[in-house]
Amino acid sequence: MSDNDPQTETDGSGPGIVAPDDEVPTWRERKERTTGLSRLTYEYFERARREDQDLRQESSYVERDVLGFPSWPHETVRNLAIGSVFIGMLLFLSATMPPHLGDPANPAETPEIILPDWYLYWSFGLLQLGPINPELTILGGEKIMSDELYGVLANAVVFGAIAVIPFLNKGGARRPVEQPFWSSVGVAGVTFAFTTSALAVDNLLPIDPNITFDLTFLLPLVAGAVSYAVLKTMREGYMYNLNQRYYRLRPPR
Amino acid sequence: MANDDNYPVESDRRRFVKGVVGGAALSGLLTVGAVSVTLTTTPSGGGGGTMDYRGAARELGPAPRGLPQIPIEIDDDGYVQGMWPEPETVEEGGVEFEVSQTEFEVDGETVTYSTEWFQYCGLQTFDGIRPDADQDAYLRYDEAVPTNDYPWMENISPGSQIHVDDFEDYEDWGNDVGDAGIGQPATATWRSQDVPPEQKIPVLLIRSEEIEAMAEEDEWIAQTCPEGFVAFINKCTHFCCVPGYKRLGESANYDAENKIYCNCHQSVYNPFNIIEERFVSLPRPEDD
Repeated sequence: MSDNDPQTETDGSGPGIVAPDDEVPTWRERKERTTGLSRLTYEYFERARREDQDLRQESSYVERDVLGFPSWPHETVRNLAIGSVFIGMLLFLSATMPPHLGDPANPAETPEIILPDWYLYWSFGLLQLGPINPELTILGGEKIMSDELYGVLANAVVFGAIAVIPFLNKGGARRPVEQPFWSSVGVAGVTFAFTTSALAVDNLLPIDPNITFDLTFLLPLVAGAVSYAVLKTMREGYMYNLNQRYYRLRPPR
Repeated sequence: MANDDNYPVESDRRRFVKGVVGGAALSGLLTVGAVSVTLTTTPSGGGGGTMDYRGAARELGPAPRGLPQIPIEIDDDGYVQGMWPEPETVEEGGVEFEVSQTEFEVDGETVTYSTEWFQYCGLQTFDGIRPDADQDAYLRYDEAVPTNDYPWMENISPGSQIHVDDFEDYEDWGNDVGDAGIGQPATATWRSQDVPPEQKIPVLLIRSEEIEAMAEEDEWIAQTCPEGFVAFINKCTHFCCVPGYKRLGESANYDAENKIYCNCHQSVYNPFNIIEERFVSLPRPEDD
């Protein structure tokens, strides 16, 4: 019985699985031994690799341990291409858009609809918290600070909360059901961002401003409570406690 | 450390020199800063300062104070003008400047009306607010008459002088904002002929039965609001927008459909509640 004649053993072990020794051919030797198209392909690639290697060795180019491309020509050509795209977009827009944005601002007139930038609505809404600026009895019903200062401090409170939350919750959860409380805090916060934005433009909403003001604080609470209840219910549906290990699985880094 | 000898050894003498050089550099910097601020900014002329004025009471919103009132005079031909007293030169703190002011007797007390009441929100830089400006005191209609909001102004020729007869149906005039019969409004400009649009002084003029009724009770109203006319500088004291009287339907949300409503930050002024307030008037820039 020669080595080239595989034979199945009765204990189920396969034939010929042995540790490689000096006799065992390398992968390159196996490639070299093949014939036909695979041999041709091997020779072609091998020759290309060899030529590339020779060129590298002949050239004065010094290979360095740097991940990157030379600024000339690679980076320069790339940057010129990207820059051309954006300049082209600018030229296209400036050619198709109306030539100007309208008359210069006239302080003697106020437009009928005048609004801050939309992404600052929430902050402008926080400036309108005058009605909940507390009046202290010990001060004889006086407000401890002006409504303006109160509104500015409300902004500081929001920024402070956003800064503190990462220290209270490290963000270990990958899906809302894992931490229903913090998820509902997030839902309430996002809702609050929208309701304060609505408060900033309450004069244009078809709702009584007092109702808008109340909803500004009620809606986030309601949204937070509802999402908490929903997430807790979803945990039941998932049999979360039973399958905790599965839900807490993390993909490998 | 290999490079220790790059630096000289710390010594009392060296500390002393450092202090002297540092102090000199700092004071030089401050001097240069002060000189450049002085050179690049215009010194303010005289005028301004704390003053008591009368105006439409602020009822709601972030505005700090009421809208200043312009005393009205009606000439023999029936044209409406804002009171602009003869300018006089006063000296205060070594600075000579012009003021236009006059005194009223109200309930036995003296109320000083000064055109410095209107020196806020950049108005103090307007040409027409200078007491000796080459302008008359007549109120004139806007160049762009707001006929959408005040349909009665359709027959008004833009820029013409305001006449009492234009306000004939003030007792029952109304538009689709608020209630009819509160008062007939007009927007106007004052002392703003031949100036660019951004230099025109906006004025709100209202003729109302309510003012006539108030004039019987109040000596100040009686002297400054003839025939039911009351006028205000139409600049919000909050951030200098131009408010409107019975112009926007949204004002009803703030109980302001019959009052003066600023749509920028929802300030509300009551034109039929003229009160005395105090503010700091800004100085006019020095004449060229």
